[in-house]
Amino acid sequence: MKKISSVIIVFAIILVASFTVIRTASAEEVKITGVISKIEIAADQKSAIAVIKDNKSSESITITITDEATLDKFKDKRILEGDEIRTKFEKDGDKNTSKMFKKTAGC
Amino acid sequence: MTGRIAAIMLGCALLAATAIAKEHPGKEQILKDGYQGPKTCEACHPGKAREFLGTVHWKHASKVDHVDNLNPDEEHGMKNRIYTMCNGNDIVNNLKEVPPNALGKTKFTGCNTCHPGDHASDVGSTGPQAEQAIDCLICHSSKYDFSKRKPAKDKNGNVVMTQDRSTEAAANIGRPSIKNCMACHEAAGGGAMIKRGFSMAKDAEVHVTKGIICVDCHQVKNHKFPTGRDPNNWAHDGIYMTCVGECHTSKPHTDADYNKHTEKIACQTCHIPKTGGAFSKDFTKWEKQANGFYEPSTLKREVNETAPVYAWYNLTVSNTPTFIGPKGSRTDGKSKIYPFKIFQGKAYFNKKNGQLLSMDFAPPISNGDSLAGVASAAKILGIKDYEPVPGWQTIYFGSNHQVTPKNKALTCANCHAINGVLNFKELGYASKEIEKLTNPELYFEKLLKLQQENE
Repeated sequence: MKKISSVIIVFAIILVASFTVIRTASAEEVKITGVISKIEIAADQKSAIAVIKDNKSSESITITITDEATLDKFKDKRILEGDEIRTKFEKDGDKNTSKMFKKTAGC
Repeated sequence: MTGRIAAIMLGCALLAATAIAKEHPGKEQILKDGYQGPKTCEACHPGKAREFLGTVHWKHASKVDHVDNLNPDEEHGMKNRIYTMCNGNDIVNNLKEVPPNALGKTKFTGCNTCHPGDHASDVGSTGPQAEQAIDCLICHSSKYDFSKRKPAKDKNGNVVMTQDRSTEAAANIGRPSIKNCMACHEAAGGGAMIKRGFSMAKDAEVHVTKGIICVDCHQVKNHKFPTGRDPNNWAHDGIYMTCVGECHTSKPHTDADYNKHTEKIACQTCHIPKTGGAFSKDFTKWEKQANGFYEPSTLKREVNETAPVYAWYNLTVSNTPTFIGPKGSRTDGKSKIYPFKIFQGKAYFNKKNGQLLSMDFAPPISNGDSLAGVASAAKILGIKDYEPVPGWQTIYFGSNHQVTPKNKALTCANCHAINGVLNFKELGYASKEIEKLTNPELYFEKLLKLQQENE
């Protein structure tokens, strides 16, 4: 009985680990440049979504932003709808999580 | 020593916390009367507006006596400099509306976009109108609405810079935060973290991790900012700063071997092992963007992606049309080895005198024609006799920010291994000296002990 339980536990661990590996492997890093068409800050102010129209494909892509520095720039309007940005995000299924989010403009 | 540093850090953190928590006196008055620009500030801080007009932040220039080939009696800075990170300056790239591009779109652009005035009172202006044009709140308010600061045309068609002069912004004032400083300093050189390539995020700079902000180190006196000695940062308020002072001593390590190095090795060399941002730009070749405007073609890396170069630096600067960088040697008795972010830019030189030419960005932004930009700049500057030929300039930027945690700083083998980061030959050492400097005998026992402790 003990042996069967051990085998089941080991099997479960392998299964969970496999899913984790597959999930990690499926996350893809994407870079785009485009204009922000929408910024929406979550009610708890801890995240936001920004919709970017990719300059190359013209596709609108929704990106979730959680880093404090970028959220702060949304709040005090250093980054606005209409600004062009360069972003690097992790695409995992339907969710795109920002890893870098910068305005292209400078002086 | 560690205890002392910890105490000072704690002190700084407490002071910062107090500063954040403490409300600026006069808030109720501001809420009652509203904000009327600098004259509201001057009710309690008389003379401060005039004082600010004399600083580098307003003048974008100062007299410079440590850089070759400059007239020490004249003022130099981003107001009038010509170099290849920013091939223009406040004069030729004065904030203006660029001509329409092929899509019929236009936009405002200019080097003095970050100048804390209203553009009607611009770089270096003086007098009562200039005093009242100062955007005090962009540096001092924690609630500044940046969407209100933008270039626009006034009723006479002049380009002005609007400001957030709301009561809310004025009621939330205090010492400048990192955000206030980086609003301008982050985007210099053509985009976020392009010019100097450092981040002041908590995870990127150990001082910020510990709660220290820009003005804790750049301790401002009467609006004058102490600066470091970046060979490419010429204008200054007459006061300089180093790591050694209130927070660090000249023998800051618990390890005597490390302390022996401080006489010849700048702190930055070991404690700022990486840099980033643009490492090359070509102002003769502008790339068309999706919005129909053009930008100078730029090779860039992310923060922390570039290895610095190391050179002796005696705090004086070589300045020629093709090179801006540190002067110094291992034998002059004044130099230390510093890290630099190296940058190479291509632009047009005047074949007739070898001097670097400036460029007005308005024409190339609109249609990619870089020579039209040179012609416009020459006209603005009154240069008639010129023949533009493309060429490269090398610039050494000081690497003075983005200090790494001490467990990630360079250690013995990073420099003394044969494949270490220091090129001893370039630094002036003879073959026999290099043999000694790269002999593992120097560090083996120490590193082995450390390795054993960490295993």
